[in-house]
Amino acid sequence: MTDALRSLMTKPWALQPDTLLGAALLALLAALFGELVWRALRWPRMLGYCAVGSLVALVGHSVSGHEPALRLAIDGALALLLFESGARLNLRWLVRNPWLLASSLAEAALAGIAVWMVLRSFAVQPMAAAALAIIASAVSPVVLQRVVGEMHAAGQVTERLLALSALSMLYAVLAMQLFSAGLLLSDPGTWLDALSPVLFSFCGSILVGAALGEGLALIARRLDLRDDNAMVLLLAAVLLALVVAKTLQLSALLVPLLAGIWLRNRSQRPWVWPRHFGSAGAVLVMVMFVAVGAAWRLDAVAPVIGIALAMLATRAATKTLAVLALARASGLGIGQAMCLGAGLLPMSATAWLLGLDFSVRHPSAGAQAMPVLLAALALLELTAPLVVMGCLRTAGEIDLHARDKPR
Amino acid sequence: MSLQTFAASKAFTLGVELELQIVGSHDYDLAPGAADLLRLTSRRKLAADVKPEITSSMIELSTGICDGHHDVITQLREVRDALVHDAAKLNLRLCGGGTHAFQDWSHRRIFDTPRFRQVSELYGYLSKQFTVFGQHVHIGCTDPDQALWLLHAMSRFVPHVIALSASSPFVQGTDTGFQSARLNSVFAFPLSGRAPFTLTWQQFGSYFDKMRRTGVVESMKDFYWDIRPKPEFGTIEIRVMDTPLSIERAAAIAAYLQCVARWLCLEHPFEPHEDDYLAYTYNRFQACRFGLDGEVVDPRTAERGLLRDLIAQTISAVESHAIELRAEQGLSHLRHALATPGGSDAAWLRAAQAREQYLPEVVRQQCLRFESG
Repeated sequence: MTDALRSLMTKPWALQPDTLLGAALLALLAALFGELVWRALRWPRMLGYCAVGSLVALVGHSVSGHEPALRLAIDGALALLLFESGARLNLRWLVRNPWLLASSLAEAALAGIAVWMVLRSFAVQPMAAAALAIIASAVSPVVLQRVVGEMHAAGQVTERLLALSALSMLYAVLAMQLFSAGLLLSDPGTWLDALSPVLFSFCGSILVGAALGEGLALIARRLDLRDDNAMVLLLAAVLLALVVAKTLQLSALLVPLLAGIWLRNRSQRPWVWPRHFGSAGAVLVMVMFVAVGAAWRLDAVAPVIGIALAMLATRAATKTLAVLALARASGLGIGQAMCLGAGLLPMSATAWLLGLDFSVRHPSAGAQAMPVLLAALALLELTAPLVVMGCLRTAGEIDLHARDKPR
Repeated sequence: MSLQTFAASKAFTLGVELELQIVGSHDYDLAPGAADLLRLTSRRKLAADVKPEITSSMIELSTGICDGHHDVITQLREVRDALVHDAAKLNLRLCGGGTHAFQDWSHRRIFDTPRFRQVSELYGYLSKQFTVFGQHVHIGCTDPDQALWLLHAMSRFVPHVIALSASSPFVQGTDTGFQSARLNSVFAFPLSGRAPFTLTWQQFGSYFDKMRRTGVVESMKDFYWDIRPKPEFGTIEIRVMDTPLSIERAAAIAAYLQCVARWLCLEHPFEPHEDDYLAYTYNRFQACRFGLDGEVVDPRTAERGLLRDLIAQTISAVESHAIELRAEQGLSHLRHALATPGGSDAAWLRAAQAREQYLPEVVRQQCLRFESG
């Protein structure tokens, strides 16, 4: 933590995203641009944040994801958003509507398999292709939540987008852990060494997630979560769990997601809190979107842009087909299913972090996978939120009379 | 369009309509799920009908023509179970109650049909504030003059059924102090309140023609009266009730109205009179504000009485009709509610909030109450 802060403070006048001046200027620019996008076009403000990030990348100051202060903010923001995502996932819904669970499994699995096949046809090596396939099977709950929240969307497509993205995230994180274990297991002589940390990480994440969920339920039972002070307590608890997860080398994605699911499903009592835990959370989320926007380098991304495009097209097509096939059984109209399928487009910070973690463990496969992943992220960062917005609008789930429309 | 002819129907048959709240099972706020729910229920064959209402977080179910309490409760149970099952597939839940406890009316969406759009444009924010949920009971009448006679004779029982059904103490997140705050929203509409005192269909027709000439109304649908004649069904429609928290209560109230109607028509315990309306709005207020503990005035004798006692007296007075109509089970439900302290749905909601201090949880328990039984 002190290292992280030091890097912000030591070179106060250096114009890097990772210095105090750079961070302040970027926040200023992102906030202004977000507001401009909202007022002029009624697009979600997060598009403004991503656009500023892209500008940073285009002028050559791209972010690697290893800057300590920035990484802290990204992890923090992701923890909040994944916790919120988990806390929207009602497992009883899946029991009452098993076809929804089926369409979730189908869309994630088919997208993963199809992406693997396409990448292999482009001669991407198997390990990198498999990692990309797992990452691409997931839909970023982060972008979806943000668009849904900003546009005050509500309805069946909205509910299902949020549920499917949370579930796909869960599958992807678990699959990634298993895959990593499998990779190390194939290394002769190291399998015992390899298996124990994976098992530890897996079970530990569940334990810490459950503990956090239980702790938050205790807080929520006694305090009104719409109150500022209770909010600080919640925020601090999530960040504390994140620190524990990082220290014990558990999955920083799995812990908050499971904590949210635990909280939502341990009792039927509803919990309501301000989006992103109020303004402190909103700052972290903005930083995260700028950072993801700036994650790519033009020279690295350009050669693989075709592969990334093919991967994304396959992914979008399979996801839409899977959702369409089970639409009627799961109680959805065909038009709604089209909107739902197309809305399953976003890949964002979650995919980036999964990719980064994979590259740390498997540098050689990571080196081939990362440029494709970053190209996909660059392609999606501005288009995916717009597509999601268009889908929600077509499905008639955006309230045109929302309170904070431009005056 | 002049006034329709009155389609005669079998005397004292019943029809019950309930407007239900559709809430999301995440935050228990109102959720726009009417169209999805209708799509799923349209695949079923049900005795009762399910229709959209003005906002997309409301759905109306209506029974077919029923002979009595047993019919009503059977049909309501069947459609309730079907709707609850379909709602669960959509991550939605349903509940009764005259208002949603904490919804923000500015967030409501108008269900997209030409009539609802037109109403929305005319009434502006009122139409969204009109996100309130009521029970309507139709009583069959053999001829239009009998219908108008019954309509006015029934007026003194309006406070009774307001008190029995009251289930809207909370509006926009605050305790209003009322047992039924819903009717305050209804009162904001220009053509709400009581029907004009006319006892023949001919007189009523000339009143309707005069109103239509002014351009203020086009059809009977534009009157939001507490009790109005429904010529196409051959009924009078009593519209003052909040949707109760359970269908048992809704069916019992319908049975009470049916027994009272039969008693009035066959025994003529009194003749309706314009002066009956002298204390009408006062009594109505008492029922809304204090529920069963409201104190109403008899405009003829100037005697005051507690609604709780007056309802009990009425139940005794209609006993033979209850036996005839096989409505005893419904009336005994009401007797039990009268005898229980805090036996009203509004009191139940307040007790839940006092215990939980959290309105979303109160709405969740409301859902449980609606779904069970």
